[in-house]
Amino acid sequence: MSDLVLPAMADTAFNLLAARLQMALTLGFHIVLAVFGIGMPVLLLAAEWQYLRTGDELWKALAHRWSKIFAVLFAVGAISGTVLSFELGLLWPEFMRQFGPVVAFPFAMEGFAFFLEAIFVGIYLYGWNRLSRWAHWWCGVPIALGGAASAWFVVTVNAWMNTPRGFAMDGGRAVDIDPIAAMLNPASGPQTAHMIVAAYMVAGFLVAAVYAWSLLGDPSSVYSRRAMKLGLALGVAASPIQLIAGDWAARLVAQTQPVKLAALEGQFKTEAGAPLRIGGLPDEATRETNYALEIPGLLSWLAYRDRDAVVQGLDDFPADQTPPVAIVHVAFQVMVGCGVFLALLSLVVLWRGLRRRRLPDGPVFLRLLVVSGPLSLVALEAGWVVTEVGRQPWIVQDVARTADMVTAAPYVGWMLLATIVTYTVIAVGTITALRLLAKQSLPEVAKQPMPENALGA
Amino acid sequence: MEPENILLVVILMGLTVYALFGGADFGAGVWEVNTAMQASPKERKLLFGAIGPVWEANHVWLIFVLVAMFGAFPEAFAVFCQALWLPLVLALAGIVFRGVGFALRTYSIGAERQQFAWEVVFAIGSTAAPFFLGTCVGALASGSLNVARDARFQGNFLTGWLSPMALFTGFFVVGMCAYLAAVYLAREAKGLGDRELTLLWRQRALATGIWMGVLALAGVAYVATDAPLLWDGFRQRSWPLVLGSIVAGFLSLYSLIRERYRTAVLGAAAAVTSVIWGWAVAQYPWLVPPTITVEDAKAPANVLWLLIATICLGFLLLVPALAYLLYLFKVGRRIG
Repeated sequence: MSDLVLPAMADTAFNLLAARLQMALTLGFHIVLAVFGIGMPVLLLAAEWQYLRTGDELWKALAHRWSKIFAVLFAVGAISGTVLSFELGLLWPEFMRQFGPVVAFPFAMEGFAFFLEAIFVGIYLYGWNRLSRWAHWWCGVPIALGGAASAWFVVTVNAWMNTPRGFAMDGGRAVDIDPIAAMLNPASGPQTAHMIVAAYMVAGFLVAAVYAWSLLGDPSSVYSRRAMKLGLALGVAASPIQLIAGDWAARLVAQTQPVKLAALEGQFKTEAGAPLRIGGLPDEATRETNYALEIPGLLSWLAYRDRDAVVQGLDDFPADQTPPVAIVHVAFQVMVGCGVFLALLSLVVLWRGLRRRRLPDGPVFLRLLVVSGPLSLVALEAGWVVTEVGRQPWIVQDVARTADMVTAAPYVGWMLLATIVTYTVIAVGTITALRLLAKQSLPEVAKQPMPENALGA
Repeated sequence: MEPENILLVVILMGLTVYALFGGADFGAGVWEVNTAMQASPKERKLLFGAIGPVWEANHVWLIFVLVAMFGAFPEAFAVFCQALWLPLVLALAGIVFRGVGFALRTYSIGAERQQFAWEVVFAIGSTAAPFFLGTCVGALASGSLNVARDARFQGNFLTGWLSPMALFTGFFVVGMCAYLAAVYLAREAKGLGDRELTLLWRQRALATGIWMGVLALAGVAYVATDAPLLWDGFRQRSWPLVLGSIVAGFLSLYSLIRERYRTAVLGAAAAVTSVIWGWAVAQYPWLVPPTITVEDAKAPANVLWLLIATICLGFLLLVPALAYLLYLFKVGRRIG
């Protein structure tokens, strides 16, 4: 019997690693498409609105082109989202067995929001010539609302994993389940705000970056300029809000997941008046965070709005209940660094925009924009690393360990390998298709250089 | 009625709609395989045009079934995911490649070789997805999954799902999708006034329909000899549905011969619906025969009622939107 059990134990450890890597890969992939699903409809609606308001065919050309790009990204995103919902059961069957009923309510709501989105995506994409112009615009509205709503519901589930509420445990089963209390857990507000604003930021800055790039090549293109400005407007509007939402999310972590806060900040020892560490590399052997720029008292103030507040260190927690510190701290620094850069850039744009009544568009600024798109994406991915790795070894904070939830089915390693191959094919295929779309010639109206159009042609 | 039974009915309804709509979308891809990717441009235009606006909405029914399943019957869901992990992964791969293939072939405009490559991916994915989803149903219905009373899977993780019944059901479901697609496409070709395509799809529908009838008979014979629990269910409870599927199947074939396409569509849909409900009624109350019942696997009652309320409210939004989509692209006349 024992030689039957032993390999199974080894399998479990390997399964756990493979399952976590697969989850990280597929979530990291899906989130890129998800932010377009949330942000892109807003841009589409704005472009089409401009067309309806001004009758300028150039706006229509832009909306039309974007709707094709959105179609590709939405389809691939719907598929990668389906993969995730299968993976919940395929990789973490024990989690679904124990907690499925606790989280099913927001998942069901998310399902309906996504359903509406998919229905109106069909109508919107194929309805350009079948609906009146305004009816077509209105069919885009449920896509934008559905995208934000499904993000809200699905992120409440992740928030619940961080601050679980609405159930009690009894013999490996969740009992006394209150699904609504579970959905409205303390982290839901800040986490959903943080994610949805992030989605608008990333979609906005990535679109702005693409067209800033083409403006560097062809500064006279009115088409690229308008596209860039719409993207920039979305990113710039969202970034300052993100400073507030991010602060809200971080303070909630401080209150509800002190061990995660300690990992974010590389705080090994409990101390009053803890410094904010900018950069630095935590060393788990020496229990110190080296090479960091330390600002005295600022962490205590940021976390608890009191410069002398006590911040708990990792050494206060049992070693088997702390996350891998280095990854979490570095990822957090990367996210905050990129976010602060984007927020500063946005404030500059806002300030100049208000003072001079026009957006900056010099080559230096365009180059900054080209960089800002990828940076926003890096911040997004780093943020998910922070919240997911920062919760380890728990899948449900202080309630259930990730290691106990993983599937007993072997061959997860092969599944991971197949997933890597599949996702590489999908990524290459999607990028190729997007490049083909970008190469397609625009209608004549979009090729007019600046002067004619500036005169109101 | 107990909440778990209401939800069971709702899940089956979701599964039925998925089979009728999503299944037909798969079926279109199955026909690409059946014709060895030799379809003429005109044929392909009809086929992809029919799927284009609706396939993503149709696909969401699967997500709906999945979420309702783990919300209402977490125990059974966890068993499915372990015992049937391999066919589920393969079905998922099919779903992924079908969707990606369709999206990328649609927008790979001006790159014909790439477009054709994605069409092949689409076709193979469209066939694999219903095949492996079918094997899951077959493996479950045959009662051959080795699941203990405490809901642990004790069979072989690689081969435990493989049984003659599972493979048969896989083929049967693929045939069902192909039949639905052929009948629907005959009606759509008629609506577009294309006589040649109408007759082509009518012929294909007739051929598939007759094959499916033979296959269904073989299936019943197999269940009678090798799946006693399911056979008892058929004999005692679900024989009216079996009869109903035979009648509906003949009705759809007869209507095809008489070129009454709307009746043929309704007949085909009714036949498929009766098959699904016939299976479900026969298998009730087992979710994983012969060990796990609805009673064993259900979530607490308050969770079930909340799910029912959510689904009712969701449908209030969903049904008008879906009706609008189908009206625009399947019923209404072309405006532009």
